[in-house]
Amino acid sequence: MIQTLAFYLFAVLVTASATMVILSRNPVHSVLWLILSFFNAAGLMVLVGAEFIALLLVIVYVGAVAVLFLFVVMMLDIDFSELRAGFMKNFPIGVAIAVVLLTELVLGIGAYRAGALQLGAPTGDAVPIPGRGNIDSLGAVLYTDYLFLFEAAGIILLVAMVGAIVLTHREQKATRGHQNIGKQVRRNPDEATVMKQPEVGAGVEL
Amino acid sequence: MVDLSQYLPILLFLFIALGLSALFVFLPMGVSRLTGAHNPDAEKLSEYECGFPAFEDPRSQFDVRFYLIAILFIVFDLEAAFLFPWAVSLDLTGWPGWITMMIFLGELAVGLAYAWKVGALEWD
Amino acid sequence: MIGIEHYLVVGAILFVLGVLGIFLNRKNIIVILMAIELILLAVNINLVAFSAFLGDMIGQIFAMFVLTVAAGEAAIGLAILVIYFRGRGTIAVDDVDRLKG
Repeated sequence: MIQTLAFYLFAVLVTASATMVILSRNPVHSVLWLILSFFNAAGLMVLVGAEFIALLLVIVYVGAVAVLFLFVVMMLDIDFSELRAGFMKNFPIGVAIAVVLLTELVLGIGAYRAGALQLGAPTGDAVPIPGRGNIDSLGAVLYTDYLFLFEAAGIILLVAMVGAIVLTHREQKATRGHQNIGKQVRRNPDEATVMKQPEVGAGVEL
Repeated sequence: MVDLSQYLPILLFLFIALGLSALFVFLPMGVSRLTGAHNPDAEKLSEYECGFPAFEDPRSQFDVRFYLIAILFIVFDLEAAFLFPWAVSLDLTGWPGWITMMIFLGELAVGLAYAWKVGALEWD
Repeated sequence: MIGIEHYLVVGAILFVLGVLGIFLNRKNIIVILMAIELILLAVNINLVAFSAFLGDMIGQIFAMFVLTVAAGEAAIGLAILVIYFRGRGTIAVDDVDRLKG
């Protein structure tokens, strides 16, 4: 009972906030609605027992990706009203396509409900381990059967990191030279100063 | 279905927090609206004698360098997220799982070394 | 009782909202990227729902990978956006027609 009520609460909130993401005028508001949407999606995932994915949604999406969006929106000085120019022009065709797409998807789900579609049967290799939590079962499959996919995910992260650094990092030319403290400390009087005893009127050659 | 009874206190806490925060926001607004005189005009709503009209947009722009830090944060955030299931299931995965994670950490250490070398970690 | 269809409907609605967002905010690439995040969230909801209702962990593992790719995509996409803005002073998608080798 409570579970059903919680499902409908989260489902309605995630849909409503996703609607606000695409409709709000100010991108900062869009990002904040996106954060609410992610939180409610995390609630939906807790309800089916995918606790770790819910945790990841909150940590990675809300904690990092949404903050990155917020950074970019606030970093760039953009005239957002100009960017909404085609909004009303595209509205009818966009809604028409969306309705067609939604009808198709719901028809598919209805076909499953009517018994026309069969869900594939799982092979049973990756069943949740009884007596262990969701995260244990996840790790047990991820780090045995999906090793190479996991390493590929690591490569993707590496490429994303290097790419972002290459794109946004500007080499700052040092304006006042770099101070090498070790070199300064190692200097001794013998090599830094020269004693000269010039003749009168002969001058000094350095 | 999954046993979610442990999450019930969190749900209750969520509702209580929502109710309390809504109360703290709307109660003072309502009380001040009901008890105080409320007839604003243009002069009363202006900055009055305690300041200037703002010269520019108060929202100052962030430096691009924050963006690089945020990217590095995302990457290492995901790395930490992958460490959680690895750590709790190490008794089930054994040495292959351990070696895999070390290779993964090595890949990201290469990225960190690159960021360090090009000076992306330096502030000025 | 909540069945898999409920989750699939939520996922379908989110997916369609993401597609609609791309259509509506055709000029604003930041909102387009956010709409892509919504689409990926819909995919994740579907993966997790199938994983939970079929009793198989693989869906959740792929949800993790989708999350990783989404984070990388957001990082690179926004980095391209930042340098594009630095060069042109705008982020309107229509202006991205000056590509030269």
